Amino acid sequence: MTAKSDCVKIVGEESVLADKKILASFARDDGGSQGSPPACVVKPRSAEEVREIVLMANARGYALVPVSSGEPHSRGDTVPATEGAVIVDLSGMKRVLRMDRRNKVAMVEPGVTFGELRDAAAQEGLRVLTPLLPRPSKSVLGSALEREPMLIPKYHWDMTDPLMCVEVVFGTGDVFRTGSAAGPGTLEEQWAVGCAQKNPMGPGQTDFLRLVQGSQGSMGIVTWGTVKLELLPGVEKAFLVTADEFGALQDFAYTILKFKLPDLCLILNGAALGAITEKGGGDMPPWTLAYSISGYTYMPRERVEYLEKDVADIASAAGVKPARTAGDVDAGELARMMGAPCPPPHWKTRARGACREVFFLTTLDRVPAFLAAVDGEMSAHGFDARDLGVYVQPIRQGTGCHLEMDFFYDPGSEEDTRKARALHEGVSRACIEMGGFFSRPYGGWADLAYGRAPDAVAALARIKDILDPRGVMNPGRLCFGKEG
Amino acid sequence: MITDAAYRELQETLGAENVSREPAVLDGYTWQPFTDILGLPDSWCRYRPAAVVLPGSTEEVQEVVRICGRHGLQFKAMSTGWGAWNAMGGENTVQIDLKRMNRILEIDEKNMYAVVEPCAVCSQLQAEAMKKGLNCHIIGAGCGSSPLASATSLCGYGWSGLTTSYSARNVLGVEWVLPDGEVLRIGTPGQDAGWFNGDGPGPSLRGAMRGFMGACGGLGVFTRCAVKLFPWPGPEEPQVEGLLNDVTAEVPDTHAMFLIAFPDLQRWADAAYSVADAEIGYMMCKNAIGALVATMMPRGLKELTRFAVFKDILKTLRYQFQFLVCARTPREFAYQKAVLREIVEECEGICLDVSKLPGLHDAFWWGFVRAAMPPLIFRMGGTFGTSYGALEGFDHPAYQSQEGARLKSQYTETGRLMDDLADNSWGGIYEGSTGFGHQEELYVYDPRDSAQLEAAEDYLAGTLVDTAAKKLGPGLGFAGGAIVAEIFGPLIGDYHEWLRKIKGAFDPDNVSDPAFYVSPDPEKLIAEEMANRPGMAQSLLSVMGEEDTP
Amino acid sequence: MALQDMERDMAGCSRCSSCKWIPHNQVKSWRFAQGCPSSTRYSFHAYSGSGKMIMGLSMLQSRSELNDDVAGIIYNCQLCGSCQVSCQVYRDDIDLSDVLLELRAKCVEDGFLILEHMEMLQSMKKEDNPLGMLKADRGRWAEGLGLPEIGGRQVEVLFHAGCRYSYDEDLRGTVRGTVSLLRDAGIDIGVAGKDEACCGGRAYELGYQGEMRNFADDMAGRVKASGARTLVTACSDCYYTFMYLYPKNGLDLGVEVLHITELVGRMIEEGRIEPAGEVPMRVTYHDPCHLGRRGESYKEGWSGGDKLLRPVRFKQSGRLGVFDPPRDIIRALPGIELVEMERIREYSWCCGAGGGVLEAFPEFASWTAGDRLEEAAATGAEALVTACPWCVRVFRDAVTERGMEMKIYDVMELLASSLGGA
Repeated sequence: MTAKSDCVKIVGEESVLADKKILASFARDDGGSQGSPPACVVKPRSAEEVREIVLMANARGYALVPVSSGEPHSRGDTVPATEGAVIVDLSGMKRVLRMDRRNKVAMVEPGVTFGELRDAAAQEGLRVLTPLLPRPSKSVLGSALEREPMLIPKYHWDMTDPLMCVEVVFGTGDVFRTGSAAGPGTLEEQWAVGCAQKNPMGPGQTDFLRLVQGSQGSMGIVTWGTVKLELLPGVEKAFLVTADEFGALQDFAYTILKFKLPDLCLILNGAALGAITEKGGGDMPPWTLAYSISGYTYMPRERVEYLEKDVADIASAAGVKPARTAGDVDAGELARMMGAPCPPPHWKTRARGACREVFFLTTLDRVPAFLAAVDGEMSAHGFDARDLGVYVQPIRQGTGCHLEMDFFYDPGSEEDTRKARALHEGVSRACIEMGGFFSRPYGGWADLAYGRAPDAVAALARIKDILDPRGVMNPGRLCFGKEG
Repeated sequence: MITDAAYRELQETLGAENVSREPAVLDGYTWQPFTDILGLPDSWCRYRPAAVVLPGSTEEVQEVVRICGRHGLQFKAMSTGWGAWNAMGGENTVQIDLKRMNRILEIDEKNMYAVVEPCAVCSQLQAEAMKKGLNCHIIGAGCGSSPLASATSLCGYGWSGLTTSYSARNVLGVEWVLPDGEVLRIGTPGQDAGWFNGDGPGPSLRGAMRGFMGACGGLGVFTRCAVKLFPWPGPEEPQVEGLLNDVTAEVPDTHAMFLIAFPDLQRWADAAYSVADAEIGYMMCKNAIGALVATMMPRGLKELTRFAVFKDILKTLRYQFQFLVCARTPREFAYQKAVLREIVEECEGICLDVSKLPGLHDAFWWGFVRAAMPPLIFRMGGTFGTSYGALEGFDHPAYQSQEGARLKSQYTETGRLMDDLADNSWGGIYEGSTGFGHQEELYVYDPRDSAQLEAAEDYLAGTLVDTAAKKLGPGLGFAGGAIVAEIFGPLIGDYHEWLRKIKGAFDPDNVSDPAFYVSPDPEKLIAEEMANRPGMAQSLLSVMGEEDTP
Repeated sequence: MALQDMERDMAGCSRCSSCKWIPHNQVKSWRFAQGCPSSTRYSFHAYSGSGKMIMGLSMLQSRSELNDDVAGIIYNCQLCGSCQVSCQVYRDDIDLSDVLLELRAKCVEDGFLILEHMEMLQSMKKEDNPLGMLKADRGRWAEGLGLPEIGGRQVEVLFHAGCRYSYDEDLRGTVRGTVSLLRDAGIDIGVAGKDEACCGGRAYELGYQGEMRNFADDMAGRVKASGARTLVTACSDCYYTFMYLYPKNGLDLGVEVLHITELVGRMIEEGRIEPAGEVPMRVTYHDPCHLGRRGESYKEGWSGGDKLLRPVRFKQSGRLGVFDPPRDIIRALPGIELVEMERIREYSWCCGAGGGVLEAFPEFASWTAGDRLEEAAATGAEALVTACPWCVRVFRDAVTERGMEMKIYDVMELLASSLGGA
């Protein structure tokens, strides 16, 4: 018996792919990760099929690599680290199982993309909490499970947001529902007494969601999840604040974030803003803080009016000037663009054809120090500073931020590619030395991050041993070995 | 019992003045309120600690834990140590009283977090945070509670949860002494990267640390913790005179308290959803009229409840919230008030501006912000208990509040529990637009009266049966000890078996007292529980008989 | 009353630990949030008001026994009343301070005695003071003032100096100046001279409750002999004894009792004393526990088993003690600036001297005083002013021990200074 035939038994011939070209495509990704081609790609349609696949893997010793989003992949977590793995492609599980306007929550399968959920939510007057310009094939659950930062920090209360509850098939093959979805009762029974699977904690004394989230598919496979949604603004007004130095934006950003005044709120350097808007060429302002203020269902115009005045007062005190445009960039247009997936080619590859990204968590006040260090690294590696895109996303209501440095390069140039790779490594090392927190340690970052946290490695190994004792779930990721 | 050798080791580690096995001292850790959850006849918990120790540092906690491990003792840590969930689970348990570890180590004003030790309490943290324009989450137990304890080890709804969330969701970096004595630093502190984040790298060990409920000392000791702080759009040093109900204060012009009441449950819940949608308010919380009257004038309520007509009058206000606006600017204040009135009108309610009521507004304003009022609930009867209280979309808490009142009325109407009008649910909506919420049904009794205590236990057992039968969220029932996991686990995806595995992985020798977490030996636990509280046994068994396969 | 009479109070403890803190509504900082010196210093729950009630209940129910260690915990407490104030913010049915008194009575009854306290008692019995001083020297503080003494002519006001002021030579100037200014202001004031004796309150607090009656009877006799309608004392401990312990035990002196600050404050208000001299100083005021919260008069008139039914007006909330008169006097002094500490009035922190702690556990007394001095220093004040000789004594010693710059005054000293006196 082969993995393929095992999978065929579960999902049928039509849902198992073993074409060599397809398999080869999974052995590497756009981020430069190299692995082994999988034995096959299986496309389950239900949680039951997923469960059977996991049980099969346990019985036969196959590795499973769950993948929710469509191509292109770039962070290495979808590339099998071991031979003979089975890609569990969940992109076909596309149902929006429930859309609850009153509780502002949607229950979705892993294959649902941002664009799909966006359309479904909009019909109810709701909007999806998205990361910055996800690619069209990006899975909502995939993004949330990876703790990708969202554009609206005020709705990001905790790191699990916007994910609330999930149904997960652990590496053991056990099906489990996290948070308040766990029970008592079936989902239907819970709905009947007003529940909406909206409490992400528990059940009981363990946050099972947190053990699954951020695991790069190494603990189990999520078969549905509830994500919190927010109201579509009735009125929205966007602004841009530009500055020559990042530091000049800090006080303003901290204040508006503290009081949860803006919806959209992020900071981009000129290269990133230029790549996103495809405008301005080299004339982009060095730094731009983009934010929007909104009114919802109650007195929306009045809300925007008072917010605009209050934010203007804060801006004045902070010595910055909000404007509706900056050069060719229109704030409203930018805000609208950010509410949707990124049309191809992805903005990170627009400038030079490829991108190496370094991102981690820190706090806004530490960003300048990291930028200075990166300047040094770029000089050392002879990298043109104009090819550095910087994206700073405040998270968790301003109590931290995602700092992302995107090194644009020409993949056709060997020298460029080599430089970008070396720079990527150098910057990663420098930043982690400085206290950058690589909370999502893809690829080589895992060694860097876990090398500094032996206690966490030991603790995670215990969790892994519980949820995936045979090591079938995406082996070789994070701090977990390739051997089951 | 603790051996002389073990005791000597503890003394040598901590200094003799920080160790005691004097029975009268140990009884200070044996007496607790809320023993109805343990089925006890009075406020003495079943087991007295074998010794109590006062470590002063993380290193000393590590040593204590290791000594316990070496000598076959269990340990249980406490911060402020209020409530029966602090009770020892067995005879050979060392109580770790963390009172000496009481510092606020850092308040990061810009990044809005504080790093605290176990016995800094919320009133202290709030006072210091306000000086920097910030506020902290304070659980319903009030500001005498430890922010670290509720964030790491217990559960925590708070009055101001609309703006300050739920204790477990505010956790950032954590320092955790594992049951084997090793230190695990969760998140950024694990990499010497500050305290601002508690999740990652990779899967978040916050998930192992706690869930909706904490392990209540069953999984080691938490010695430091960073908690998220929130904006405080008020004075840095509030000018307050008086101690509680007599408080007078300089209330900012942009702050005001409202009482909003609605004609029925549906429109009351509608209002909660609308407030979430509107993203207004600093606090939205129901403190039942019965509870308010009971705490303000307990003897008066006892008189009033003798007359059905007064009860009916008071009950007309049962669907209400206290709503606090704390705006940053006059513009925001005007907007929030206008929207509130629109929502109240839409839901056919009434809106009473408490700021127009002399003598009450200041006390309410500061009482709710500081959360100093909770122990008033003891005033009416001596103690109270709580039930239901699942966190969910607000329709569910609304449903639970009805269930609680319905079930409890059988006790209040017959005089078995004190008459708080039966409607005594507390709770609100949380996280602004997220708008999930909870309602927990309180019940009031005198623990010095064994008949009332028995009635409380009986009512509580009834709520568990009701929860299982109607597939309600289990809520605060999770605080009821390890037996709850065995009862509800089969109804909740067998979560208790996963907990047991986590317990086994982090504490293979069961050194950390599992009495309020999960038992490594469920059969023994169930047998003990059935022997210890036969009165409740039948009820519990009936819950365990419920079938459900999620 | 005995410990068993307090069983419902003790069994009512909900262990909320409010007794360890000042009332939470008044917490203004991390540093000065604690209310109970004993719990703060020794940390075990047993040292708190709640812990002591639980211990009491435990012993009453024979779960544990009284022994030297337990007695040590009971006596490592200044009986400052902070716990009672914080408890009664929430509770109507617990009189915590009375429990603490009964615990000490039980210690004495069962023979668990503190050596230093026994010495105090011996001194009280033999020399009418707890300080080990000679009775014959009692009246020396007033020598040369020419004050009428009882047995001589009748006076309107009898001044009771109290033991500490009578014998502490460092502090004598304060009372000498005080009575002088009263006399100069036209008050017909007399003293008991060498016949003055201890009020007996200290014996009651140490657990020798029965001993107080003899002193009380003597006190009543002196008051009667003086013909005074008003009894004035400068000692806050004596004031508490007169206002609370005597009436609680059915003893009535039959006269108005005033603390010196009440009388002087009244006279300033009436214009009978007019402080004119500049006192250019930034000061803070320390509320003596036994003048402030413990100085609240005993609330008579309620008897019933279930205190849940007791009307609030019968609670000893501590809010009606003497708080404003000393402050009014300070504010009346030209050039002075009064800045308040965080813990004031009924939620003040103790000086450390009370309840027999100064004599038996001087290190704890000093530690407690030190905490208060730090709080005073945090206000930027150059002087701490109080209105009790025990407080002055322990603060001055603590300042010396620590090498601090803080000056310590009794409020009457400052008034005298303003008036050009000593």
